[in-house]
Amino acid sequence: MIRLGVRWRSSILFRVISTTFILSLILISLVGSILFIQISNEIFREKTNESVSEAQSLYEYAQGQLDATLYLTSLKLPTVVNRILQASDLTVATTPREVVLIGSPILHKANSFYNGASGNVDETSISNTLRAQVRKSGGAEWLRGKIAFKDGHTQRAIIVGHAIEVPPRSPYELYYVFLLTDQQTIVDFIGRLLLFAGALLILLIGGISWYVIRQAINPVREAAEIAEQLTAGDLNRRIHVVGQDEMARLAISFNEMALSMQQQISRLENLSRLQQRFVSDVSHELRTPLTTIRMASDVIANAKEKMEPAVARSAELLQSQIARFESLLTDLLEVSRFDASASILELKETDIKNLVIATIDQLHIGHLGQIHTDFSEAPVTASVDPRRIERVLRNLISNAIDHSEGKAIEILIRQSEREVAVGVRDHGVGFTERESERLFDRFWRADPSRSRLRGGTGLGLSISLDDAKLHQGTLKAWGAPGKGANFVLTVPKAPGIPIEGEPIPVNPNSDQASTSFLSFDEDDI
Amino acid sequence: MTLIMVVDDDQDLAEMLGIVLTGSGFEVDLVNAGDQVMTIFDSHEPDLVLLDVMLPGMSGIEVCKIIREKSMVPIVMLSAKGDSYDVVKGLEAGADDYVVKPFNPSELVARVKVRLRRSSNESSTTLRICDIVIDQVAHTIIRSGKTIPLTRLEFDLLVALAREPGRVFTRDALLSEVWGYQHAADTRLVNVHVQRLRAKVEEDADNPQVVLTVRGVGYKAGTSQA
Repeated sequence: MIRLGVRWRSSILFRVISTTFILSLILISLVGSILFIQISNEIFREKTNESVSEAQSLYEYAQGQLDATLYLTSLKLPTVVNRILQASDLTVATTPREVVLIGSPILHKANSFYNGASGNVDETSISNTLRAQVRKSGGAEWLRGKIAFKDGHTQRAIIVGHAIEVPPRSPYELYYVFLLTDQQTIVDFIGRLLLFAGALLILLIGGISWYVIRQAINPVREAAEIAEQLTAGDLNRRIHVVGQDEMARLAISFNEMALSMQQQISRLENLSRLQQRFVSDVSHELRTPLTTIRMASDVIANAKEKMEPAVARSAELLQSQIARFESLLTDLLEVSRFDASASILELKETDIKNLVIATIDQLHIGHLGQIHTDFSEAPVTASVDPRRIERVLRNLISNAIDHSEGKAIEILIRQSEREVAVGVRDHGVGFTERESERLFDRFWRADPSRSRLRGGTGLGLSISLDDAKLHQGTLKAWGAPGKGANFVLTVPKAPGIPIEGEPIPVNPNSDQASTSFLSFDEDDI
Repeated sequence: MTLIMVVDDDQDLAEMLGIVLTGSGFEVDLVNAGDQVMTIFDSHEPDLVLLDVMLPGMSGIEVCKIIREKSMVPIVMLSAKGDSYDVVKGLEAGADDYVVKPFNPSELVARVKVRLRRSSNESSTTLRICDIVIDQVAHTIIRSGKTIPLTRLEFDLLVALAREPGRVFTRDALLSEVWGYQHAADTRLVNVHVQRLRAKVEEDADNPQVVLTVRGVGYKAGTSQA
């Protein structure tokens, strides 16, 4: 049933065919039944008329004969009654019929000695309704119904009844039973014919509607398939156009749509490729002059002692800004490599704990007392690109320091069977939900007026996210204003296995996160 | 005085390089186009060549190949594309090392000095690796009476391996020992130079006997044959 329901919803063909089938079944049954009833009625009506008139003359003759016994002594009543019963039986050549003579119920049972029937007709099977009508009106009442025989079998028949008077003045009822054997055969045949014709018609209608609907649906199906392929990225697929009908028009406009979509996409692709190339070229072109500038500033900086304080300070500023410019350029190049999908993972079995410790060490800042770590006891190794993971860690930790407002920073390492996670949690300014949506956007800063303590490029989180994705991992962020932020990097231990679980939940308020933090001091490194 | 030939089409950068290198006690020749390199090279015979990959007239890679045809002088490439194909091409053409623009001047000077140094723990011992005899004093290697010409870097690489015959060197260890890198560096340097070394010292480069690859780890010296 469920499967039928699914098919009903998913297939127009199925729906239309079943509807057509059911409706035509109802309609044809209705028409067939009416036809059948009309035809059989007509056949039986004719026979009835015939039978009634035949019964009338037979009755008149029988009554005459019975009446005659009163005047003609040569006619003995039992003989006449016998003859009525027998003659009716014998004289008939064309239509088979039987005769039944029953004494009216007002006669005492013992007096109804002329009761009798021809053939093997069971006289009790003549219905009381008919008998009552006959007694009431006196004659020519008929009924089409079943007559039973003494051997038990029944047959359809027309029973015509008359009240008859058997001398001396005994009320009897005379019934002629005309068997409908021939008519029944015809009616049965017609019935079977109608049934067969009806079934054939239903099948034909079903078949025709299937064929017609398929003609209408096939192009739609084809269009749906092509649309799916287009969606899947095969932009060269087109519908095969046949003829000039509505379907062909649909196909043509569909193809036009696909073409314009393809052109639009390739235009955008071109644009974005051009733009990526531009970014990459610019970054490369900037490198040579930057090299010269950097060397010059170094030479200048080396001669600081000989300068006036203001000049010396300028040289310092020059040098630090060049360094910032350089890291911006490096990040831009990295971003353009990601955009061009030219980034390659250089996987290496890496001790994540060591990597985290080395990263904290590299930041060598006066913040060590601020950083608390909680690493799992067991060794944590994963096949990752250490350069990229270190870059992510460096970004997360220096971000945390920048936004921590001097409060504690907690660094967690957790692992599951398949993945490794590093969480960096601070209790500083945090961010709103709306800000969190833009967190990974390039050059986006939560608060542009914030001091750029570490001189970040604004590309750090974006690159980190790309690095995580390149590992088929995730980088998730949680934050609340005034309550700090939590960043969790999760990467698979081996490449190619998409991550499933979250060794560290990104929302620190969920239960798992309640862990103690060990103080981190320089001796640990 | 040690003479360094700086080949860069960017005149300002070349001049700046000249200032920095002169400041570090080197003598400098500045060349701005690839096709002038050989004339000056032949007449001045520099001790080291700093070569930009992108040059007008003749590409740095071409220049590198031509220099290598006649000289074993150390060559350090200057590259604007750190991870590109060009770097590998340059190394394959015979450059010993490379620095990526924009580089730290002191880092450049350090690289130059590493390439110019005489092996610090040079000893008079003669080393053997397979059927090759390494004469550390004469700085030559000899196989069956014939001297095989090697660049200084290739010589250092072979000596490093031969000095500790049983040891398997990781690429990082070789980078530190031969190239003087303290931090992780480009392992392609090792791969390319092992290939170049093999092409010279192996009898069958496809089936190396002298420098053996230890899969997943690094390289080691082949055992001496009886």
